[in-house]
Amino acid sequence: MRLFGPTELLSDVIEKDLCSGCGGCVEICPYFRSYRGKTAMLFPCNLEKGSCYACCPKAEVDLDALSMRFFGKPFDGSPLGHHLSVQVSRAGKKIGNRGFQAGGTVSALMAFALMEGIVEAAVLTDRDQLMPIPRLARDPSEVFQCASSKYAAAPTLSAFNRAVRDGAGRIGIVATPCQATSIALFRSNQLQKPDFRDPASMIIGLFCTWALDYRAFRNFLSGKINLSGIRKVDVPPPPAEVMEIFDDRGKWEIPLGEVRELVLPSCSFCPDMTAEFSDLSVGVLEGHPDLNTLVIRTERGMEIVSRARKEGFLFTEDIPEENLKHLTWAAANKKKRAIAKIKSEGLFNTDGERRSIFRFSEKTAGKILDGEEEK
Amino acid sequence: MTADPYNIIITGVGGQGNVLAARVLGNMLLRRGYEVTIGETFGATQRGGSVMSHLRVAKYGVWSPQIPRGRAHMIVSLEPAEAVRVLKDYGNEDVKVLSNTRPVYPVSVIAGDVVYPPVEEIRDRVQALIPGARFIDATEEALKMGSPILSNIIMLGALSCILPISVGRSDFEAAISGFVPVDALDTNLRAFDRGTEMV
Amino acid sequence: MNQKKHSPRLLMMGNDAIARGALEAGIQIASGYPGTPSSEIIENLSRSAAERNIYVEWSTNEKVAAEVAAAASFAGLRSLCVMKQNGVNVASDFLLHLAHSGTRGGMVLVSCDDPGALSSVNEGDSRPFARLLEVPLLEPGDFQEAKDMTRWAFELSEEIRNFVFLRSVTRMSHASGCVTAGDLPEKARRPAFRHKGFLLDPDSGPVISLLPGVPELKHGPQQEKLRKAAKLFEKSSFNTYKGPEKPDLLIITSSACSLYSREAVHLLGLEDRVGILKMGTTWPLPPELMKRHLTAPDRILIVEEVLPFLEENVKILAAEAAAELGIKTFYGKKSGHIPSVGELNPDVVISALRKILGLPADDSTADFLKKAGAIAASAAPHRELTFCPGCPHRASYWSIHNAIELDGREGFVCGDIGCYTLGFLPCGFGTLKTIHSMGSGTGIASGFGQIRRFEMDQPILAVCGDSTFFHAAIPALINAVHHRSPVTIIVLDNRGTAMTGFQPHPGLDVSVMGEPAVDIDMAEICRSLGARVEIRDPFDLEETERTLKLMMEETDGARVLILRQACSLSPEKKGRKLFEVTVDESVCIGENCGCNRLCTRIFRCPGLLWDGQKKTARIDEVICTGCGVCAGICPSGAITKKEARV
Repeated sequence: MRLFGPTELLSDVIEKDLCSGCGGCVEICPYFRSYRGKTAMLFPCNLEKGSCYACCPKAEVDLDALSMRFFGKPFDGSPLGHHLSVQVSRAGKKIGNRGFQAGGTVSALMAFALMEGIVEAAVLTDRDQLMPIPRLARDPSEVFQCASSKYAAAPTLSAFNRAVRDGAGRIGIVATPCQATSIALFRSNQLQKPDFRDPASMIIGLFCTWALDYRAFRNFLSGKINLSGIRKVDVPPPPAEVMEIFDDRGKWEIPLGEVRELVLPSCSFCPDMTAEFSDLSVGVLEGHPDLNTLVIRTERGMEIVSRARKEGFLFTEDIPEENLKHLTWAAANKKKRAIAKIKSEGLFNTDGERRSIFRFSEKTAGKILDGEEEK
Repeated sequence: MTADPYNIIITGVGGQGNVLAARVLGNMLLRRGYEVTIGETFGATQRGGSVMSHLRVAKYGVWSPQIPRGRAHMIVSLEPAEAVRVLKDYGNEDVKVLSNTRPVYPVSVIAGDVVYPPVEEIRDRVQALIPGARFIDATEEALKMGSPILSNIIMLGALSCILPISVGRSDFEAAISGFVPVDALDTNLRAFDRGTEMV
Repeated sequence: MNQKKHSPRLLMMGNDAIARGALEAGIQIASGYPGTPSSEIIENLSRSAAERNIYVEWSTNEKVAAEVAAAASFAGLRSLCVMKQNGVNVASDFLLHLAHSGTRGGMVLVSCDDPGALSSVNEGDSRPFARLLEVPLLEPGDFQEAKDMTRWAFELSEEIRNFVFLRSVTRMSHASGCVTAGDLPEKARRPAFRHKGFLLDPDSGPVISLLPGVPELKHGPQQEKLRKAAKLFEKSSFNTYKGPEKPDLLIITSSACSLYSREAVHLLGLEDRVGILKMGTTWPLPPELMKRHLTAPDRILIVEEVLPFLEENVKILAAEAAAELGIKTFYGKKSGHIPSVGELNPDVVISALRKILGLPADDSTADFLKKAGAIAASAAPHRELTFCPGCPHRASYWSIHNAIELDGREGFVCGDIGCYTLGFLPCGFGTLKTIHSMGSGTGIASGFGQIRRFEMDQPILAVCGDSTFFHAAIPALINAVHHRSPVTIIVLDNRGTAMTGFQPHPGLDVSVMGEPAVDIDMAEICRSLGARVEIRDPFDLEETERTLKLMMEETDGARVLILRQACSLSPEKKGRKLFEVTVDESVCIGENCGCNRLCTRIFRCPGLLWDGQKKTARIDEVICTGCGVCAGICPSGAITKKEARV
């Protein structure tokens, strides 16, 4: 993979508004920090190669190499990415009903992993009013506190980087697709440090189509809603076309069209709807708001699911054909739109001086763009 | 005195006691009946900057507090890089040089942006240009005596021996008593004496 | 310094000579505001205050200082008022009125200019003020003259009943030369302000600048005073001529430039071709004397610094006397022979003389200087300006800079005058984005705040020092609060007027004379205006940054953040370390990814060294003052601080 440094990260990603605010460059060093959802570079750093650039999911990411590293095969452009199985799941009896946003699969798995010692700490995203906050949890109860969907981008990986610097050995992460890609870049030791140890023991990816700019979201809502009373934020499935915000007085509906204007520009450059570089990916099962879709990608992910199911922490069943088809269609479309955009901006497989967002085989790119759009 | 006016530059970094050294020397020369003019650069430059005192020593008359380009007769430096800096504007083939060897690194060097050459290299290059240039470790001697700030007094002692104008210990003793408290006189005299032994 | 009998010759700084001259003249009041290169005059006088029974004061600003000195003069005492060139700008409104009203006891206004802006952010020339205010101007040309002229200025002032402007420059004020001191007066005057006499009586009537509608009653006599001064100047010993009776070229010069001119003529061996007319009384120019010297030479070179003040006045005089004098050729700034910018030196005059007289260039030292320059290119690295080790401003700017970057809306800071002015440099992380005069940071911020209503989202901040706050920022702050300008005003309170040598100001409880004074509470003033006020310790980086980020998000009205921590050169701090600071080399990441020498490359405190061999940072124990701030910025925890044993 081509490696560059913080100067290029600033010019290629931050100044071009391509930053997804994932936090992958934050807490590696003092130069990049995040505040209220926005990542800023405080001082110039003149290193030619940096971990910051290496871990950025929008900077010279060689998807073929990454895919080889974690799946033993190149990036194939398939809608859901490499996986072993897709199932339906929800939190098991041992977890019980804790008012989860959907099925509670993520919380169940991470709580289980902590209890079993599969991970010693979990990197999660908590919330203060409307603002998402990275959090390092060491106890299952903390996991449940963080259970709920946050629609604004959060620099969650800053907690991961901090945990790594503090010497944590087995870390679990709940990550959005861009965050999962960043972790994968981190784990692949781009800078080839001889004493590198991979501390990520379990990565649960979240399905994601877009994330909001926190500041814009807050400004948008602050005239309309009392932010300190917010209990839950939800986007119900189509044809609803609204965002629902629940506070102590009731439910507010905001037209989704207005919310879409607050989406980060970087999301339109993202081809990954299902967090392809995780052990397990989780989303809501279409039409069943109390169930999750669970994509199992790696052997160790498969093992964790088996154990959790056996111990009663997770319930799984087969996914209906219709749901799988719909998910595949949606994922394929996002991939196609993103790759088309990246290509049109000249940020794919560039030659010479110009740097890319992604690199992978032209043939695969062709396959993505030619993909059928049938539902 | 080999020239009239005789031009001495005392230079260093802010905080080294450059100004004090110039005033003490000025008073020593005044005591010997010379007319002295001293020009100084201090103020904002003291926040880490170079400091220069230009001394004009004459039989009579007030001269410019700034020595004309290339016209110094004696350059005394409390810091090696400053000796070089002064040489490039005020030096000439016949100038005498007396410099301390202890560097005071500029912030740019501390920050790693710029390399400060080894003092031996500075000394060698200066001596190649001016064969009689003297470099003495005044700060080391000052530290042995208990305080690095005494290096400027040690330099004065050394200077008194190589200056082609007659000034000596008694002049120093009379001059320094106007600048330091009584209980510091002894230390200062010892520093002056140490300087005379070093050239 | 306080000897009453004739003393032997002393080596004296120009400022000390001026102070001595004032004491010999029997001043009883001295006032001023700190400003390089003038500050030593008041400091010197304050040390003599007790023994000489005089009152010395650092006033809140130069205008007030002038008013304080004027009061003494109205009561029949002799007074001295001291400032740098910018101070005259600040005092000018009052001075204009004072020039109309006239004075009683001798009053001298000393302005120490800074040509070349060695310690200023402007290159103002205060001499034209004398012409504008219509008061006499004196300029000492050497150190003895600095003393004698100051002493005589009081006599002149009482002769014409108006204040006298005495102008010095850095190379006179901060340079030293031989001075023979004179006697100090035995008796002091007893003040009384007589005011019951007739309205226009200069000795006993009220002191009023001008009566509206009838300017001739005050302005007329004022101009008459000036003509009287001109007559006295015809015979002044401060105007000297040295050179041939009929010079090829006449140099007209004043102040330190007269020394440069003398040096240049001497070096070129032109004593029998070039004459030097050194003027000590430069406004009004004594016409008869000038005409006498202008008669013989066809060519005249005027040597002065910054504005062509002398040059223009001489040309006007020559034009008026054209019938007598004939046509002359003038050289100076207008002809390009003397630079219009910057301070002068003997080489400038040498170069001008060579050009005018067609003399060959002298390259005798050129070769040597070139070789020396080659050594200097690598062996004399540039010394950038920076804050002292332990300076609270470094810590303040660290937090301010970071808060602005994290806020991410292109916020900016309007700067002001003090040590913290260096905040526009790398040592202050390039934080300041406007710099002008005392108090203008807050004033400009107040303006920026109002234009936010035109959809400008950038957060606006200003910094000002504690001394600056009292000097000039209060009216601007009132403006911001009253008009609800959404700005954050940061007062960098380091408990003294640091840049000029750590003088006291109204926020402290002791005066320059060491007498108890009322310490005025800055925070209370701000609160009483109705601004939200927070006080933080800038050494607490986290808390300062947190507070600033929140303040920048506020949208309604002006708020004040006082960052209070004493200057590292202050008496309470000097020689005492709060912490022992060390670097654990085994933990230091150094130039690798994860740090890249944040402490030495960016923070840049002189107490931190980069060890190129070990590839780690190190504390220079001699320079480090033990503030411990660097321990808070180190990403690896390699820098630690431990409370120093008292």
